[in-house]
Amino acid sequence: MDSTTPTNAAEAPKKEKKKPDNIVIPPKKPKLSKAERRELQERQRAAKAAAQTDGGGDAGKPKPPKIEKKEKTSTAPDESKRKLKEEVKKEDPTENETADEVVALFSHLPRPKPPIDIHSVSNPSIHPVITTLGHLYSTHTLLGGNTRCRAMLQTFALLLQSYEPPQTSRDYRHDLDHSLLKPAFQYWTAQCRPHSVSMGNAFSFLKLAVANLDRDLEWSEARQILLESTEAYVNERIEYAGKAVSRHAASKIQEGDVILVFGRSEVVNRLLLDAHRDGKKFRVIVVDSRPLLEGRDTLQILSRAGISCTYVLLNALSYLMMREVTKVFLGASALMSNGSVLSRVGTACVALLAQSNHIPVLVCCETYKICNRVQLESITGNELGDANDVACTDCERVGPSNRWSGEKEKKEEVLDDWKNQPNLKLLNLLYDLTPSDFVTGVVTEVGILPPTSVAVLLREMSPQENNDSAFKGTDY
Amino acid sequence: MTSDTAAPSNLEDPSNVRRWLQTNHPKQFALLDNFEIELRLGRFSSTRDASKPGAHQGSASSRYQYGRDRRLITTRTVELVRAIIGPTRWKTAAQLLTLLRGLGNELHAAGGYREPAIGNVLRRIMYAVRDEADHVVPSQSSGVDDMEKIDELTEHVSSKLRVSTGKELSLASMLWAHPQHVTKHSRQPSGDYNDRLRSDSMGSESGIDCWDANGSNIYPPHFYSRRDDLRQSVMEAIQEMMSELEDLHKNINEQATQHIHAGEIILTYALSKTVELFLKAAAAKKRKFQVIVCEGAPHFGGHQMAKSLAEAGIDTTVIHDAATFAIMARVNKVLLPAHAVLANGGLIAPSGSNMVALAAKQNSVPVVTVAGMFKLCPMYPHEGQNTLNDLISPSSILDYSLMGDPVLSEVELVNPVHDYIPPQLIDLHVTNIGGFQPSYIYRLLAEYYHSDDWEAFE
Repeated sequence: MDSTTPTNAAEAPKKEKKKPDNIVIPPKKPKLSKAERRELQERQRAAKAAAQTDGGGDAGKPKPPKIEKKEKTSTAPDESKRKLKEEVKKEDPTENETADEVVALFSHLPRPKPPIDIHSVSNPSIHPVITTLGHLYSTHTLLGGNTRCRAMLQTFALLLQSYEPPQTSRDYRHDLDHSLLKPAFQYWTAQCRPHSVSMGNAFSFLKLAVANLDRDLEWSEARQILLESTEAYVNERIEYAGKAVSRHAASKIQEGDVILVFGRSEVVNRLLLDAHRDGKKFRVIVVDSRPLLEGRDTLQILSRAGISCTYVLLNALSYLMMREVTKVFLGASALMSNGSVLSRVGTACVALLAQSNHIPVLVCCETYKICNRVQLESITGNELGDANDVACTDCERVGPSNRWSGEKEKKEEVLDDWKNQPNLKLLNLLYDLTPSDFVTGVVTEVGILPPTSVAVLLREMSPQENNDSAFKGTDY
Repeated sequence: MTSDTAAPSNLEDPSNVRRWLQTNHPKQFALLDNFEIELRLGRFSSTRDASKPGAHQGSASSRYQYGRDRRLITTRTVELVRAIIGPTRWKTAAQLLTLLRGLGNELHAAGGYREPAIGNVLRRIMYAVRDEADHVVPSQSSGVDDMEKIDELTEHVSSKLRVSTGKELSLASMLWAHPQHVTKHSRQPSGDYNDRLRSDSMGSESGIDCWDANGSNIYPPHFYSRRDDLRQSVMEAIQEMMSELEDLHKNINEQATQHIHAGEIILTYALSKTVELFLKAAAAKKRKFQVIVCEGAPHFGGHQMAKSLAEAGIDTTVIHDAATFAIMARVNKVLLPAHAVLANGGLIAPSGSNMVALAAKQNSVPVVTVAGMFKLCPMYPHEGQNTLNDLISPSSILDYSLMGDPVLSEVELVNPVHDYIPPQLIDLHVTNIGGFQPSYIYRLLAEYYHSDDWEAFE
């Protein structure tokens, strides 16, 4: 009727608008039904996969065009996942062989990367300082949220000092971001080791600082401002925060305490050393776990300072916990906004044992490590380490503790040929999530809070960040 | 064998057993000696490693192999007991029990305290002896009056109790139905029965005062009568025990399909032959499931276990102990091995299992123990985590080569072998006689061991 014709007329221009100009559409394309379109896509995908295995990486091959925008929304996640997989395959063809060995439960996590060989990297756009740091990350030489973050900011400072904005470009900020910051960060995350929350927060601070620069500023001034703000960030949020945490926690250490610590945490070590310097008499039990055996560093640091220590592996924990432990101090890699703690794998076990024996657990963490993500259990967001570290039982050779050993030859292991056994998989997790029920208090530079207050702290600290990134993850 | 004139008087005291054997039965004494030496050297646990010389032997010596093949030890103990009781000259049940008790003390001193299974089988043999001594009709006339009297007295007492309480035989009455309990704890309504028994004891031929002050090592008077047919029945009972030990895994594995279903993810901790065979039996019945093995540092038994499970076709993953809590959200069931099952239903398991059980409880994952009944110990965890525990060399935690450092040599290192898991963390004990909840275990004690034998061998 009268009403239908205008709607028909309205629909026709709408259909025109739906096809944007930049999508390449092949000339003869019959109108297919949804099922037929899906079939076509599957066939093309299979053909592409077959071509991929024959030809190897083809960087310049055009991707199959999107047929219909409606279809695109439903298949977009598959497409993007496939593209990511192809990219990964292109960069490291040997990863194909290890694809089956990743446990199915953790297939959503990025595969562990083999340590990069710094002598063979040929990408000219990557500064050698970046590759050096990447090498330190991927070989687990630099461990710990604070250490990695500081190293990253120091590297950025070096890069900023040697960076010159291109003459042609109008906006040096965009170029800085695009050619220096982003590629470096992506290189570390994708090629070396997934970034920690501390690194992520520091990086977004840096990007914000760049964005806040006046675009008419001279580069030398801008650089000065950036370097100063980076240094201020390190001094305030890491160094000063560490001292404040130590001061707050010192009130909780009493004479005759037996304190349990797990792994290596810079903040916890600092607060124990400060308390010892203040003359308090206490004992420390250092609990360690494979494969990284970071507790040995803690043991060195604390016992050289004169604190009497006990050193055990995780299995002895329930033997010791009930008899003598009075407090537990744990470090964190990140605090989730619901109060749960993301930390080195094994922390949750320690906290669980402590809580079941009614021993207070204090998590020491600076506020810059607070993350607005929420995680319910350890499997959704984690990091996979090298599976060979599980097979190698020689405590001297794995992780940073291989600094301790001499030139011992590798001893024969039970699981040396685990790769040949199809039913056998090794899993090396690096993080785990301690639920907030196990945590008695969180020690930050603003005070000792209950774990439920972490969300409030997040909101207080960065209101503008909270508004737009409440539901985004920490993707860069 | 030399004459046995000295035998009866020497065999009253369990601590004399060694001397008695040495003087009277040198062959058996040699057997006992050899067994003790092997026990002390820990040879029973490394029988598997002996077949692989060279590098593996070297690593085995650096790593403490702690009593893995417990069934072997138990079988050898029973064989030893059989070899000792069979030809030796004991006359009465009391002497036999003293001999066994003495054996128990000997083996305990020789390192058997690490293997509670040894004490357990000895207690079971003693229980069998008591059982046989009570029920076998003796050929000797001197004992027959006592036996008949005691049989009818048992009936009398239990019927009285039934009448008095108005219910069927209750737990209490089962305890009181045994004559020596009736005499010792004189709470029975039948007072004249007590007097009668006491007067009989005065007339027994050994002439020993049965009512010792400390209450231990007292056997009822009919045990002191000479019994020739007891040997036969005791040997039969021991033979039954041997066959039960041999069929142990078969009986446990029959229950495998009840507990393991398709698509499950099962977590287990470190190395255990029983759990391994249990899982393999379920896999052999075509159940498709996955196993996650905790490696069990610092002994790394989990590596061996995972390798052997994977070779049997089971989808296995090895994780560090630290990742236990992280992975527990996906686990459907936890299978724990047992070093010993305690009287309260608690468990002595490899060090680190307490953490696993706690994590399972937190995530509401059922914890199932798989163990043979010879691991049931009649003791309570009075020492908490120290019950049946041992602290062994810390070289597996921190290598001795690092101890040269003066700072590190001041550090205390703790390496316990076992953990005590309280019964509220355990959901089921699967044994060769069936599956029981932990609160039922104490009841099994009454069926397996006699309450007089419950105390530990010193």
